[in-house]
Amino acid sequence: MNVALRRPPVAWLALQALALWPHALWMGSRMRDGSDDPLGVVALAALAVLVVRLAPRLRGQPDLRWLAGAVLLTIASTVATLCLPPLPASLIAALALAAGIAAWLPPGTARLPFVGLAVLALPLLSSLQFYAGYPLRLATAQLSTWLLTLVGIAAERSGATMEVGGRLIIVDAPCSGVQMAWMAYFTAFTIAALTNLRDAVFLRRLPWVGILVLAGNAVRNAVVVALAARPAGVGEVAHQATGVAMLAAVCALVLWVMHRGVARAQPA
Amino acid sequence: MSSPRVQWFLVCLALLIVGCNPALADDSEAPAAQGPYFHINSADPAVDRLPLKSTRASVRIAGVIADVTITQRYRNEGTKPIEARYVFPGSTQASVHALSVRIGDRLINATIREKQQARIEYAQAKTEGRTAALLEQERPNVFSMNVANILPGDNVDVELHYTELIAPVDRRYQFVFPTVVGPRYVASGAGFPGSPHLHAGEPSNTAFDLDLRIDSPLPVSDIESSSHAIDVRGAGSRRATVQLREREPSNNRDFILSYRLAGDRTATGLMLYKGAKENFFLALVEPPKFIKPAAINPREYIFVVDISGSMHGYPLDTAKELLRKLIGGLRSTDTFNVMLFSGSNSLLHETSVPATAANIEQAMRVIDRQYGGGSTEIVPALRRIAELPKPAQQSRTVIVVTDGYVAVENEVFALVRRNLGNANLFAFGIGSAVNRHLIEGLARAGQGEPFIVTRPGEAAAQTERLRKMIDSPVLTQLRARFEGMEAYDVEPQVLPDVLGGRPVVIMGKWRDDATKHNAVRMVLAGQQADGAWSETVRAPAPDDDAVALQMLWARSRIRQLSDEEALTGGGDQREAITSLGLQYGLLTQYTSFIAVDRFVRTSTAATTVDQPSPMPAGVTDSAIGAEVPSTPEPATWLALLVALTALAALPLWRRRVALTGGTLAGRARTGDK
Repeated sequence: MNVALRRPPVAWLALQALALWPHALWMGSRMRDGSDDPLGVVALAALAVLVVRLAPRLRGQPDLRWLAGAVLLTIASTVATLCLPPLPASLIAALALAAGIAAWLPPGTARLPFVGLAVLALPLLSSLQFYAGYPLRLATAQLSTWLLTLVGIAAERSGATMEVGGRLIIVDAPCSGVQMAWMAYFTAFTIAALTNLRDAVFLRRLPWVGILVLAGNAVRNAVVVALAARPAGVGEVAHQATGVAMLAAVCALVLWVMHRGVARAQPA
Repeated sequence: MSSPRVQWFLVCLALLIVGCNPALADDSEAPAAQGPYFHINSADPAVDRLPLKSTRASVRIAGVIADVTITQRYRNEGTKPIEARYVFPGSTQASVHALSVRIGDRLINATIREKQQARIEYAQAKTEGRTAALLEQERPNVFSMNVANILPGDNVDVELHYTELIAPVDRRYQFVFPTVVGPRYVASGAGFPGSPHLHAGEPSNTAFDLDLRIDSPLPVSDIESSSHAIDVRGAGSRRATVQLREREPSNNRDFILSYRLAGDRTATGLMLYKGAKENFFLALVEPPKFIKPAAINPREYIFVVDISGSMHGYPLDTAKELLRKLIGGLRSTDTFNVMLFSGSNSLLHETSVPATAANIEQAMRVIDRQYGGGSTEIVPALRRIAELPKPAQQSRTVIVVTDGYVAVENEVFALVRRNLGNANLFAFGIGSAVNRHLIEGLARAGQGEPFIVTRPGEAAAQTERLRKMIDSPVLTQLRARFEGMEAYDVEPQVLPDVLGGRPVVIMGKWRDDATKHNAVRMVLAGQQADGAWSETVRAPAPDDDAVALQMLWARSRIRQLSDEEALTGGGDQREAITSLGLQYGLLTQYTSFIAVDRFVRTSTAATTVDQPSPMPAGVTDSAIGAEVPSTPEPATWLALLVALTALAALPLWRRRVALTGGTLAGRARTGDK
């Protein structure tokens, strides 16, 4: 066992990743067939960069509890390919990989951000749209209606549709905020990993990310709806600029939420 | 929420939901789409999604009967066998009596079958790999053609033949050839085939051509088309020919041709046909001229105006011009009300108001504000009209203005017959490809007249025509008596009042009465404004060429039975209509034409493609559904750039914090770390 474990931890992780090839194959096919945005690659790349960054400091001996968890989850994910749909099976695989990384991380290193990034590496967006898209759209439409009413613009919501100034504007799937949520959580996980935010603190701050996304998307939607309800409508550039500005604001706030108090403790 | 049990429950629920993979859902048994939708061309070059390459109509008009041959050419330019489905229009009066399919040198004649039987034979032929064609009637003026197993490179010509009666209106003959089915608003269960449409202004890939010949006992004059540019030869002679001139898209609107006979005469009289088993007759009698009555009673007018999506733009502009003339021309003693309907309906006033200048101006202001949008719920609108209390001293006239793009014709007819009481209903069809079945059927059910207005310039003339009809019917209490022959199965069984302009048309069967062989005649009697009126029409010898009379009679009887069936709402007349269809070889709602090739031509399953129709001229995409703006998030690459920029800002922030010596950190809460 000891002889075997003398190999570099990164090699062990690569070996585990290789064992999860059926899931990688499925994720690759989901990216190629256009059924999901290929954002998972970005999360996977971020995960790889973080591991490589920590490589010199990885444990010589893995944490056996995490390692056992990684082995069990890897086996479970392989069995799951026989009885579960691909996404839940790949979710187990992502957790297995995260557990594998956690087993080699230096003592005192935050582990949950790695788990988060491993989950974000999955082709999640379409499924999130399918299951969470409509509630998010409803919430966005309702919050936007309140915001517009607050600033004196008469707005009514019917389902996920808004009527503003006699014009119907639909809050459809691409407006739900799922993409903003992915970006915000990606930012949060990466910052937490980079700053080695303690897991307990990270968990306490994580709900703020959801709240920021919901509020940010509602403001973005309200601004675009207000612009679109004008007789001149809204141009593509103004539409995109509003979206980019709100996403930038949300990411900046996520940065602040995740980083506050960290700077003093770890100044460089 | 904070309880561990609740958290576990939520986690399990989430896993259960994720586990119910939507990819496992099976929609193979889902019902086929109904109603119109926009055509989307496939990216697969192996499948030809636009197989109908051309439609050609060849029309021969002899006297008052038109024989029409439509040739649809299907060609498969893909590499896979296809089944083509195409929904296309026909004349409301059409008696479709033959279908044939030509593949290369082979000609396959179709046979008439009971509808379900035809479907079974077609499905079997399709599965076996034989080329087959199935022609079904969806509505009296809407047909669907299915052509199975068109192999790559095939040219399949499908020819259908129909006959119709051309009756003059105001001594002017009009032939109409519809080229496109307008997108119908289909409520659930209306049983109308889902059919793709091209976007407004998008040119059709299907070529269209039409040639027409008129053979008349009298010279033909004033040949003109209000819809298409035409070349006319032989005007002023007894044989005239018409060709389409334009090369611009011509299959997105009805082809309308009108002409007169020399001396403003009409080809009226009694026509006999002696068949092997049965004999048929057709009588056309010109009514007397309109006599202005001494006094005109005030009336109540209710205008029912369609403001749905299909009326958006040009059709609604035309309707507004028509209403300006109709409402503007009311007498001050008349009363009126206006109902606007689309998905919902609204009445301008609770009860009808006098036609004063102020009320008319107010009504026009409301109408002018409409821009057209939404669905076409005509049945609730008419139901509400039927429930309006009727003034005791006034006759009510209901005027419906619509393009007729609905699929609930039978429901509408039954509603009008049952509930409109003594009110007369006049239907105005607005647009370039009106649903004439609805407009004509509404008028028939409401004992009124149909009008078609294709452009604002026609509004004044049609308003004047309507006013004359409403002021005084030309003939009432009309009865027909036959001498010298025994007439039976006469259509219509009860002659309606003649409102003017249109001849009285009577069809039926006859038997010889040997005792009065030389004195066959029909006496038509009725009442006009200044007293009794009668006209005697003598019959010439039977015409052996008038074989079309039997089809025209059968079609008329089928229409009558269909009206009765619509009234009861069931399939009461199914057997009688099927029997007539099979006996006279006619396409009906219960009988279809089926042609099957005797050779098995392929073992590859055919891909089904639905041939799209162009959007009727003047109709916008709103007829199917306008795009509703939405507020999508920014492009993914832009969003990613923003997130990465935020991450890149992290070292800068930390450096700034370090440089400020922890001032920032001092302000931040530190308890978390």
